[in-house]
Amino acid sequence: MQNYLEYIDAYFQRTLEAEEIKRFEKKITEDKEFADEVAFYLSAKQSLKAEADREKKEWFREIMAQERPVIDINQHRSAKRIWLYRVSAAAAVLICVFFAWYFFFSNNSVSPQQMADKYINEKFKTLSVTMGEKDSLQEGLRLYNTEQYDSALKQFESMAQRDTGNYKIKNYLGIIYLRLGDYDKALQYFKQFENETLYSNPSKFQQAITLLKRNLPGDRQRAKELLEQVKDNDLEGKETALKLLDKW
Amino acid sequence: MNLFNKPTLSIDEREIIDSITQNGAERKKGEERLFNRYAYFIKEAVYKYSLSEEDGFDLYSDTIISAIEKIANGSFQGRSSLKTWLYSIFHNKYVDLLRKKTTNKNSIHQTLSISDLLLEISDHSKSIVQKLVDKTDWELLRERLVQVGENCLQMLLLWADGYSDKDIAGLMEYKTPDVVKTTRLRCLEKLKQLYRKT
Repeated sequence: MQNYLEYIDAYFQRTLEAEEIKRFEKKITEDKEFADEVAFYLSAKQSLKAEADREKKEWFREIMAQERPVIDINQHRSAKRIWLYRVSAAAAVLICVFFAWYFFFSNNSVSPQQMADKYINEKFKTLSVTMGEKDSLQEGLRLYNTEQYDSALKQFESMAQRDTGNYKIKNYLGIIYLRLGDYDKALQYFKQFENETLYSNPSKFQQAITLLKRNLPGDRQRAKELLEQVKDNDLEGKETALKLLDKW
Repeated sequence: MNLFNKPTLSIDEREIIDSITQNGAERKKGEERLFNRYAYFIKEAVYKYSLSEEDGFDLYSDTIISAIEKIANGSFQGRSSLKTWLYSIFHNKYVDLLRKKTTNKNSIHQTLSISDLLLEISDHSKSIVQKLVDKTDWELLRERLVQVGENCLQMLLLWADGYSDKDIAGLMEYKTPDVVKTTRLRCLEKLKQLYRKT
């Protein structure tokens, strides 16, 4: 069997002369073996393209997972990665190390959104539990701290239905939704206790952080307004609010 | 046409497009920026089109993949903003998805579309090739891909993803594009042998 691959490749790379293109297409109609070769070339390319797209989709999932650590859209993770994406991952790690170093030594260049990220990762990584107590609230916090966010969510939502006036439960629900990346719901919960008279009300500050994360048009401005209110009214989160406003 | 003189594009959009038309790490950076920038479309798909989050993600990913391909090969003309253009792709893909769901509800195996590649063949020859392509055992071909070897697979994937031999030479540290071409065709031949062996 003759090897036509180079010829076929030249046709699809558009490097053949006009006359040669005519001969190529005529050959398809006259030579079954040649037509088979053309079909294989196209099938192989299409199959490879589908594979490349699948790899890219996996990478997109990873990007999504970085943004929203718990929502796992696809449980079926591929074992295989092509070299390019491995290199990208390695590059991403190097970039992270660089940024970690950079933020450590040069905190002045951190944007409000990056600070919001840092705040969420540091302050909401775990929530404090009361040792020895084993009520529903503590169980919800335990689930949260072991990163079982979906179970924690169910626990707090069922508590919220029973105890509609409890701001702590709403606050925890807001935090869980924030961790899950559902910023609209997080905002809904944080807003619910915005006007409650509390010794220390974190509502406005946490709304600002959520808005910075959501980053839709207008969110940044609204976050700034809320941070100004936190600062002016001496609300919880003032210290970080001042730092954030300083970076604006 | 100089795309970057178009007033419809913001600086940020131009930067993304510029990155995607580059090579290697710069292109990846652009792809990631593009994906992140309009990721809220997924939420829109869930609320507006009542899709599951999974379907919304698929729809958006397919949109971005298609957009990257068009930007990389210069098909994006910059006549509208990147967002408007992307949304039109997103919407068209949603219509396609809807059509597929209504017409192929019970179809488990769906053939891969090869029409884009066949555009380069004249109509007369097209039907002959299309019939032969339709006979492809896609599952078998996919199985054989992993048997060509890691280096070959990487090269073939880059080629199928639209990278030129010159780009691949740079990325995979080959001396010249001609060496890439020879190796790539040898890899394709290997794949063909593996596929036809059975």
